[in-house]
Amino acid sequence: MPSKVKSFNLRRMPGFTPIALAIFVILYAPIVSLVVYSFNSESSVGVWGGWSLRWYVSAWNNEAIQRATLNSIQIAIISGAAATVMALMAALAMTRTRPYRGLTTKYALLNQPLMVPEIVTGVALLIVFARIKVWTGYTGPAYIFLAHTAFCIPFAYLPIRARLIGMDLTYERAAADLYAPPWATFRYVTLPLLAPGALAGFLLAFAISLDNVVISEFVKSGGQDTLPTYMLGQLRRDMTPEVNAAATVLLVISILAVSVFFVFNRKKN
Amino acid sequence: MKPETDFKTPSVAAEGIVKDFGTFTALKRVDLTIDQNEFFTLLGPSGCGKTTLLRLIAGFEAPTEGEIKLMGENIATLPPFKRSINTVFQNYALFPHMTVSENIGFGLKMLGKPRAEIAARVDEMLALVKLQDFAKRRTGQLSGGQQQRVALARALAPSPRVLLLDEPLSALDYKLRKEMQVELKRLQTETGITFIFVTHDQEEALTMSDRIAVMSAGEVLQVGDARAIYDRPANRFVADFIGEANFLEGRVESREGTQHRVALAGGTLAATGDVPVDPGAAVTVMIRPEHVQIVAEKTEGGLPALLERTVFLGTDTHYYLRMQDGAEFIAREQNRSATVTPFAPGANVHIMVDAQSTRLLRD
Repeated sequence: MPSKVKSFNLRRMPGFTPIALAIFVILYAPIVSLVVYSFNSESSVGVWGGWSLRWYVSAWNNEAIQRATLNSIQIAIISGAAATVMALMAALAMTRTRPYRGLTTKYALLNQPLMVPEIVTGVALLIVFARIKVWTGYTGPAYIFLAHTAFCIPFAYLPIRARLIGMDLTYERAAADLYAPPWATFRYVTLPLLAPGALAGFLLAFAISLDNVVISEFVKSGGQDTLPTYMLGQLRRDMTPEVNAAATVLLVISILAVSVFFVFNRKKN
Repeated sequence: MKPETDFKTPSVAAEGIVKDFGTFTALKRVDLTIDQNEFFTLLGPSGCGKTTLLRLIAGFEAPTEGEIKLMGENIATLPPFKRSINTVFQNYALFPHMTVSENIGFGLKMLGKPRAEIAARVDEMLALVKLQDFAKRRTGQLSGGQQQRVALARALAPSPRVLLLDEPLSALDYKLRKEMQVELKRLQTETGITFIFVTHDQEEALTMSDRIAVMSAGEVLQVGDARAIYDRPANRFVADFIGEANFLEGRVESREGTQHRVALAGGTLAATGDVPVDPGAAVTVMIRPEHVQIVAEKTEGGLPALLERTVFLGTDTHYYLRMQDGAEFIAREQNRSATVTPFAPGANVHIMVDAQSTRLLRD
């Protein structure tokens, strides 16, 4: 028998449906319009002229977009992987030791990029890197790789740490009990059990790096445009649906990465 | 390493082991000697230090003081992976990303044994625990009892000198637990490995062990075989923890060797104690409920009591009695014949116990 007492249900609150719908429209209508206009046959981002793949072809053939895209993917993969390795080491150091003084401080420091406004990090990096560029004369892509690695670490760290905390310590004890020295324990037991968390961390870091604008914009040198900074640059000139097409592709890649992340994260439960 | 023919050196010896966790002392100077090929049980309530002692032997913790010797060699500072000791964990801790075979072969692989040797040994272990058909399964697809067997096979495969078992049967249901008790004893006899078994279940301890160490609050109170611990408990805690026991307060009247005459409320009883106690001292005597005989008439050596409640249980009858000083007393009698009618509540009866079953306790 259903209980006579009504429990609190958010769905039954007055205005729930209209508010929820409004939020969905605000969130997704611009994205939908962006995607729709990427198929526009006209050369305006505001006037509809019929369906066409013209701008996808044009974007595909645009050397600047090609370079920016390759650059973005390269940065996302390398920085994402570097961030994952560092996050993995940090997570091991912070979950597989007895609690010690300064652990909370370390945790806060590590997650700093989540708290500090990106613009602050961007300006700070700009100033420091400018000085280093003067001293060393090096103006290559290492700066942007470093910057992306740094702000990606907390995103890779969180799923890895969650996985490590959820992992029973007795597996590692059992390995040690069965004659596995620490490295073998890590190689044969910890790492395989951790793999879904590490992959999830990498994908999240990848997606975060891929669509970063603010820090890339401050750190990049000439000719080092990423796809997002290139698109930002295009806004200042005559914008064509080429940008819409590139943005749609970026959106699809991001959604794919995050979906894979969710699939891997759900598997563990 | 001692030669293999040496059967006298204790398999494991704990010498003056102290273990502190911050300000809490988990083990207060424990001394234990466990023989080769022995089924040794650490028995005690939770928090008594038995699991801590096991973890010290395994090497997951280091003792604050004292030495742990394996075949005469101090191993207290060796990490777990350098000790020829394997553990069956309470929750089994089978590696979920490996098959049954890979789990069992893990220890041998870490010891760097050749592939063929590992495969042969794994097959042997699968046969030993009767899981031949499950070699390629993932451990998550096994039942609790099967996981238990894999855990045993995995720990036994590298032929350790000592096998540690941390309450391995606690997660199993009653029937399976009974089966595994027999199985464990069989495996211990067949392999000849020293088993150190941790449990809080007295029945498990009594069924399987060659010797039992009863622990409480970080101390070993008594070490002995099942009969010694049950029939001749060293103190009140041991008597109370293992089986049921009645305790009566009295005063020693006279003594002849270990035989004491103890004055209790309403009469005197002959009691046996390992330690002589001088006349006049206040003592506690312990009597097991099943060692008591209840009679209607006053007889020589009987203590008067009031029968308050009678519980008929088919095979047994339980009598709840009140002694003259107000102490509660429980007696159990087996119903040996259908013609015997149990005493009815309210009756004034007398309890009879022989001198060997009336134990004088130290505290």
